[in-house]
Amino acid sequence: MSIMEKIQNIDRRWIYLLAWVAVLSPLLNPLGLPVTIGRDSTRYYNYITDVPDGSTIMVTFDYGISAMPELYPLTIATFHQLWSRDFKVVVIATWNQGPMVMDVVLGELNPAVRYGKVYGEDWIELGWVPQSETGMAALGTDIWGTKPVDYIENRQTSSFPIMQNIKTAEDIDLLISFETGTPGLPEWVRQWNVPYGTPIIMGCIGVMVPEVAPYLQTGQLGALIPGLTASAEYELLLKRPALAIAGVDAISMSHLLIIVLVIIGNIAYFMTRGKGGS
Amino acid sequence: MSDVFRRIEIPIAITIVCTLLQIIPFYVNIQPLASTADTFRSWMILVATCATFVGAISLTLYNVKAIQRRSEDWYYSILVIVFMLAILLFGLPIPEAGLGDQNPQFSFLFVNILTPLGSTMYSIIAFFITSAAYRTFRARNIEAAIVLVSGILMICKNAPVMTTFWGPFVDIGDWIFDVPNMATMRAVIIGTALGAIALAVRTLMGMERGYLRGGGEE
Repeated sequence: MSIMEKIQNIDRRWIYLLAWVAVLSPLLNPLGLPVTIGRDSTRYYNYITDVPDGSTIMVTFDYGISAMPELYPLTIATFHQLWSRDFKVVVIATWNQGPMVMDVVLGELNPAVRYGKVYGEDWIELGWVPQSETGMAALGTDIWGTKPVDYIENRQTSSFPIMQNIKTAEDIDLLISFETGTPGLPEWVRQWNVPYGTPIIMGCIGVMVPEVAPYLQTGQLGALIPGLTASAEYELLLKRPALAIAGVDAISMSHLLIIVLVIIGNIAYFMTRGKGGS
Repeated sequence: MSDVFRRIEIPIAITIVCTLLQIIPFYVNIQPLASTADTFRSWMILVATCATFVGAISLTLYNVKAIQRRSEDWYYSILVIVFMLAILLFGLPIPEAGLGDQNPQFSFLFVNILTPLGSTMYSIIAFFITSAAYRTFRARNIEAAIVLVSGILMICKNAPVMTTFWGPFVDIGDWIFDVPNMATMRAVIIGTALGAIALAVRTLMGMERGYLRGGGEE
């Protein structure tokens, strides 16, 4: 077996090791590579910036713990932007681990102390809405009935000052969804955007981006943060570099590794192709 | 009498009624129908919530059997049951007893076990993708070469080190995203929707029975 054939059939564990080194080394020793701010993060940032003060924004956790490495930095950055303004924020989850992720967000941001936000007046968490699309439809029709009690204080939803004028999807000025799959954007579009005209913006994991792209072109999705790189750009727009920026060097190095490996693999392939190689 | 309730027409009729009840108010504004549809959706949420317990019971039974039979890797089943019971116990919504999501043990299990495990399971994909890209991204023919070049360009677009090195990677990546990707995904979405409509019509006509007693055509 020639060297080129050996290169093509290299043990995958060596590739795992290279990937591990490529991801870990910049995390331990940040390279500080520059980040170019793109159109997606700018559109998302501007979309929230342009929402008038006093508007009601619903944030939905359509992801669980496993997606936290990619979506958590964006979630934190978005809540920072929301709580820095005078919005009424209603938090829900269509994934059952969503409220647990929100607990972590609360532990990190502490809205009462850092932003002076009062629970029940400036924001509220209604918890998990089960049964995916059916739950979304029910929530759109009757928020009080679908979530009769809140998640944090276990009190009647209708008893909170913030909820007095929030009863259906028509009372929500913007829906922000963080998601990894189903239920997610297509369901929100069907149950909220089409019947009630609720504007939607979202952040999602990288592999979902092609799937949701058509909704961006039709205008049913107002803005999209596609993965961690765009989250890092969004953090820069907020002038608040944090978790996503820290991960961008690792993304750069791992992507670079893939490019180098693919080039090497193809060189080896073409050099052995005419010699009966694999 | 019991034979009457075992007739297959009954669940089919229930399915048809429930489906029409959700479809008609979407197109026609008839208030009594709309409120009945709302009630049905609330029922469905209740049913789904109860199904959570079915999942927990099913998981317990499966793992208890695995332990009893000493199946392969049966000791992992012990871990599953122990941690499920621990999370269940500490997470019970009884704040008066110090339980619930603010319970320190519950938080510990969530932050120090569940979160790292979940993140690891997701992050491990990076290793598989790197290995798979190395093995499968070969320009074996024209089509494969197009996929290869497009993939590499998208990788370059998403890697800040590459966009900083050569700015046009962003524009090229955006074009791939906006034009070929968008066109393809629109076709996929429309095709899927047509398939879903066909399935719904078959279900409404009682021709689709896959959800009944293990399935079977008419």
